Amino acid sequence: MKLIAKYNRVNIPITIGILLISSIAYYFILHYVLLRQVDKDLRIEQQEIIHHLSESGTLPETSNYKDQQIAFEPTNDTKFEEKLSTEWVYNKNEDEEEPFRRIDFMVTQNGQNYIATVKKSEQETEDIVRLILMITFSVIAVLLFILFVSNRFLLGKLWKPFNHTLSQLKQFNLSSKNNITLEPTNVDEFIELNNTAISLTQKVKNDYDSLKSFTGNASHEIQTPLAIIKNKIELLLQSEHLEESHINIIKSLNNAASRLSRLNQSLLLLTKIENRQFSNNEKINFSSVLKNCLENFQEPAELKNIQIEKNIKENVIVEMNDSLADILISNIVINAIKHNYPGGNISVMLNENAFVVDNTGDEPKRETTELFERFKKESASPESLGLGLSIVKTICDTYGFGISYNFQGGKHCITIFLKNIF
Amino acid sequence: MKILIVEDEKALGESIAEYLSKQDYHCDMAFTFHDAIDKIEYSDYDCILLDITLPDGDGLKILEQLKEDKKTDGVLILSAKNSLDDKIKGLELGADDYLSKPFHLSELNARIAAIIRRKNFDGNSIVKFGNLCIDTQKKSVTVEQKEIELTKKEFELLLYFVSNKKRLISKDAIAEHLWGNEMGGNFDFIYTHIKNLRKKLTDAGAADYIQSVYGMGYKFTGQ
Repeated sequence: MKLIAKYNRVNIPITIGILLISSIAYYFILHYVLLRQVDKDLRIEQQEIIHHLSESGTLPETSNYKDQQIAFEPTNDTKFEEKLSTEWVYNKNEDEEEPFRRIDFMVTQNGQNYIATVKKSEQETEDIVRLILMITFSVIAVLLFILFVSNRFLLGKLWKPFNHTLSQLKQFNLSSKNNITLEPTNVDEFIELNNTAISLTQKVKNDYDSLKSFTGNASHEIQTPLAIIKNKIELLLQSEHLEESHINIIKSLNNAASRLSRLNQSLLLLTKIENRQFSNNEKINFSSVLKNCLENFQEPAELKNIQIEKNIKENVIVEMNDSLADILISNIVINAIKHNYPGGNISVMLNENAFVVDNTGDEPKRETTELFERFKKESASPESLGLGLSIVKTICDTYGFGISYNFQGGKHCITIFLKNIF
Repeated sequence: MKILIVEDEKALGESIAEYLSKQDYHCDMAFTFHDAIDKIEYSDYDCILLDITLPDGDGLKILEQLKEDKKTDGVLILSAKNSLDDKIKGLELGADDYLSKPFHLSELNARIAAIIRRKNFDGNSIVKFGNLCIDTQKKSVTVEQKEIELTKKEFELLLYFVSNKKRLISKDAIAEHLWGNEMGGNFDFIYTHIKNLRKKLTDAGAADYIQSVYGMGYKFTGQ
C-alpha cells in the first residue's frame, strides 16, 4: 500500500467525521441563536402591545400578515402565565407545514382579561440556517476535492527526490565505475536520505574495491611462488635416478600445482574482466575468431569422435575486446567437447543476433542457471574448476549480451544474444 | 649459445638456468635492473629472458637500452602480470615474445629455441633429429627426403618435442602448449594425439623416438 493511500485511509474518514460533527453542532448553535433573535422580536412586540394598552387604554388592532400575526382572545383564566412555543401551521400557498414561534401572554382591558398571541414565522430563520449549511457543505466539498487533487500533484512533486534516489539505488551497480547521482532537494528528510544513500554506497564500493584489489594482488603474488614450485617439479622430473614411487608423488604434486595455477589464472582473469581492464574494444570478426577456435579444437573433438555441425554466417562483426572474444568462444567450445560423450555431436550456429552452441551430454544434476555461478560444477572431477561458465557469463555481462543455458531433449544449449541490451 | 636471465626471484632464475644449461646453453644471471644493464653492455646474448618487474627499475627500460645500443639480442619477456598492456608495450619495444608466469620450463625452452631460430635466420630454419628433418619455415617434416603429412597440431607437437629433446615433458605442459590454458586438466586427447604422431613417424621409417614415462609425460629421445 502506498504511503499516501495509508495516510488517506486515516485522514479522510477523520476529516469527514469532524466536518459532520461540527456541521451538526453548527446547525444547532445557529438554530438556537436565530430562535433567540425571533424570541427577542416577539418580546419587543409584547412590550409594544403593553405600552399601547397603557397609553391609549385600548388593545391594538389585530393583524394577520404572513410573517407576523397578532390576536387577542378573551379569557376567564386569571392566572395565565406567559409562554413561548413553536407550532407548525399549514401553509396553503407553499403546500407545506411552516414553523411559527408564538408568545402568549395575558393583558387586561377594562377589567376583561385577554390572552394576546403574537406569532412570527420561523420560515426565514429556517431558510437562513439551511442556506448557511448549504454554503458550509459546498465549501467542505470543494475543500476536500481541492485537497485531493492538490495532494495528487503536490505529493508527486514532493516525493520526486525520493523516487529519484530510489531509482538510482535500484540501478546501483557495484562493478560500475560511476557513483550514484542524486537530485538536490531542500527537504530535510530527503537530504538526510540522500546523504545516507551516498555514504552507504560509497562505503560498499570502497569495501568492494579493496576486496577486489586484495583478490587481484593476492592472485598476483601467488603467481611467482607457483612458478617456482612448478619449475622445480619439472627439474626434479629430469633427474635420472627416480624410483616409481617418487614419480607418483611428483605426479600428484604436479597435478595439484597445475590445478592451483589454473584456478589462480581463472580468478585473475575474472577480476580483470570485472575491473574492466580489457577496455580496448574493437570491431571483431566474430565469424573468423569462431572458425579459428573450432579449427584449434578440431583434433580433440575428432579424437572423441564428435561430429561438429557448423552453420556460421560470414563476417559477423561484434565490438569487443579480441582476447575476451577468444576466451568467450573457446570456453564454450571446450565445454561442448569436454562434457560430451564419445560419438556425440555439437552444432554451432552464428548470425548477427545470436551465437548458439548445443551439444549432446549427460543431463545436468542442478539448475542450468546455477552453473553460471563460481565453483558450481557438474562433474566431480578435480580437473574441472567450475569457473569456465562464470567467466563466459562475466564477459557477457560486461558487454550486455544476454545468455541462456537450457537442457532439452538430451542436449545442452547455450545461446548468447549478441545484440547488446544497453 | 649465450642466454641472460634477468629475474629477481633467485629460486626461479636458478631453475631456469639449470634446465637451460643441460640444453647446452651458457646462462648468465642478473638479479637486479642495474646488474642487467651492466651485463647487456659488456656482452651479446642470443636471448635475454627478462622479468619486467624488478625491484630497482622497470624491465621495459632494458628493452629501450638495447634498442639505443642497436643490439639485436632476442628478448623473451617473463611477467607475473599477464597484462595485455605490458605485452603490447614490450613487443613494440622490440621484444620477441612474452610468457606469463607460471610457465613450464619446456615451454620456455621451446620459445627460446624459436627466437634463436628466427634470429639466426640465414637459411638455417632446418631442425634435425636423427633421420628426422624439420623445416620450421615451410612447416614440413621429412624422413630421408620422404615427406610426412602432419596436421598443424602434430607438427607443433613434434617441434615441441625436438626443442626439448631428451627431457621429460609433462602432459599438462603439452596440453597447454597445444591448446592454451583452457584445455588444462584433460589429458585424454594427448594420449591419442601422441599415438597418431608416433604411428605417422614410424610408418615413414623414423625410429620410435617418443617414450612414455610412468604415465607422467613423454620423452623424445634417440635411445
